[in-house]
Parts: sequence; structure tokens; C-alpha cells
Amino acid sequence: MRLLIVIPALNEEEALRALVDEVLEARAALPCSSEVVVVDDGSTDATVEVAVSRGVRVVCLCRNLGIGGAVQTGLRLAYREGFDCAVQVDGDGQHPPSEIHRLVQRLAGSDAPDIVVGSRRLEARGYQSTRVRRLGQRWLRFWLQLVCGLRVTDPTSGFRLYGQRALALFQRIYPYDFPEPESLAVARACGLRLVDQPVEMRARQGGRSSIAGIKPFYYMVKVTLAVALAYLRNRGRRFRNLVVAMNGLSPSLAAVGRTGGDGGDRN
Amino acid sequence: MSIDRYWPFAVLCALLLLVVVRLLLRERIALQGSISFITVLVVFLLAALVPDLTARLAQVMGFQVLSNFLFCLAIIALALLHLRALVTLSRLETRTVHLTQDLALLEEKLERATKPQ
Repeated sequence: MRLLIVIPALNEEEALRALVDEVLEARAALPCSSEVVVVDDGSTDATVEVAVSRGVRVVCLCRNLGIGGAVQTGLRLAYREGFDCAVQVDGDGQHPPSEIHRLVQRLAGSDAPDIVVGSRRLEARGYQSTRVRRLGQRWLRFWLQLVCGLRVTDPTSGFRLYGQRALALFQRIYPYDFPEPESLAVARACGLRLVDQPVEMRARQGGRSSIAGIKPFYYMVKVTLAVALAYLRNRGRRFRNLVVAMNGLSPSLAAVGRTGGDGGDRN
Repeated sequence: MSIDRYWPFAVLCALLLLVVVRLLLRERIALQGSISFITVLVVFLLAALVPDLTARLAQVMGFQVLSNFLFCLAIIALALLHLRALVTLSRLETRTVHLTQDLALLEEKLERATKPQ
């Protein structure tokens, strides 16, 4: 099994150096071969230089696409290069690389899920974020269950492992703005299987959160609407999306999917 | 109803049409996206040139005053044009994102291929 560790980063020079070192160290504990890629989302600081100095792969976006666009770039890379799975580790250092192996372990066995979501709520260990954010998470949990029938304990967690079917789907369709809850709705609508895995998270290790000021209110309104729309939109196209997602499982069909599906302009 | 009362409206439409044609000639806008705009302007120009017919149509649709009818038509037409522009813009945004991603991935691939081992 081959794993791609995707680190989306925007102006994370402070946290990135230690994070990449931790990731490289954590790779030794993984039961599979792995590669690390830092996706620079148009940073204006020394993020790229830091990443290059650590010797990992670096993909530089020529303009800022937002966290969703950066993550999707990593997922597209994983899909195109035939990785079996990809894990997202945010560049702000909130996701301890030492926890990656816990996500990977869930893929073992015949009944492997398509997405493993690292949840800080299941065991309530480590950093639990602010009270306002926890309130928002509670609302999103309720909303995802109401709209999509999806039970997930940490809908805003970006610490996730994507299996082959999820890679095939998300390299084509992935939300750009505040993507975490919306991508869960897309996955659910397309029939992917999601599981929670308790993980320990920590406070960001540097840089600034993009959700500050009055943005949390915009975030809640936007995400609430987006979840419902994403679920309804993709449920209607469930069959087509599933066919594309299934391409990821068959090498012959995957070739067709890569030549015909990559340029798709849906999102 | 005399055309005398509506000539400013007709002139305005003609001027706007000229601006659109000028932009097209200078290749500042594409013909594909401008056809709907030109169609709307021509319809309004015709409405101003044949006010009797427009007034009859307005009466049939329940408008007491012709100007209200024209305002209503203009609002609907502008809303539709705006929606169309929004759809085009959203599609272009998605394409730009995919192109940006593809460019970054190809650059990385190229760099790796040309990097001395």
C-alpha cells in the first residue's frame, strides 16, 4: 500500500519546519510506504523555501485557491500517481503526525472504509478548540445528520484519510470554501463509507486562522447552505459520480477516468 | 401614441448598442456572451420605435402606464443577464482552479524530471 501525506499550507513558515520533520519521523511507524507533499497555496512568506529545505515534494499553486483547492491538488496528485490512499495533515501543525498511523490502521481488513475522519470529540483528548467553535461543530453535526443521515462526531476535522474511491471522487468534486463538512455531504451522497477515528489534536503551532473576525458567522451560514446543496446536488447525480469513483478501483477503467474525468469542470 | 415621446429611450438603446458593437470590434468582449445583451437592446429599441404596439402589449399584460411596463421588462432582462453572467463566471472560476492545479502539478513533475539525481 502507498500513502501520500498531503500538507496544504498558506503562510505557515513558523509551523511547517517542525511539522515536516515530525511527519518524516512518523513515516517510520507507518505500515506502508509513503511520500510527503506540501501544497503551497500561494504563500507570501518562506513556506516554499522551508518545505524545499526539508527535502519533501512541493507543489506551488500560482494563486491562492483556498484550503479546498489546495487539498484537492494533493488528492489529484495521489489519484494520478496511483497512490492507494492519502492523508491530509494541515500545515498549521494542528494534526500531530504521530496520529497518522491510527488513521491508516482503520484501512486494514476487508471492510475498509472510504474515508477515515480523525475526531477530537470521540475521546475528548488534547486540544478541543474554542467554545464558539465547539457550538458550531455541534450545529454541523446535527445538520449533517438531519440532511444526510450522517453521524460524524467531528465534522470540521481536516485530519482525514482518503481511500481509493474517495480519491477518485474528490479529485473531481471537492468544495473550495470551508470544505470539510461539505465534502462529507458529497461523500455521503455518493455512497462512500465514512468512519470516525479518535485522534488527539493540538492548537495551531504558528500562523493565523483564516476564520477570524466576523467570518465565523459567514462560515456557519455558508456551510449550512452548502451542506444541503451538496447533498441534494450529488444525490441526483449519484450514479454518475459512483461510476467515476469506481474507475479508481480498476486499472483499465482508471485510465479512462484519468483522461476523460480530470478536466471536468464540475465542483 | 407618438414616437416623439419615446425618442430619448430609443436613442439610449441605440447608444448602448453602439458601445457593445465598439467593444466587440475592439475584442474587449466576446460575441458569444454578448448576443443575449444585443438581443435585449434590440427588443427595447423596437419597443421605443413602435410605441403603439408596445402600449397595446402593456395593456394586455395589465400595466396602466407604459413606462412601468418598460421598467418591469428592463428589470427582468437585467436580472436574467446578470444570472447568465453569474453562471459563466462560476464555470470560469472552476476551470481556472483546475487549470491552476494542473499547472502546479505539471511544474512539480517537470522539476522532478529535470532535477539532477
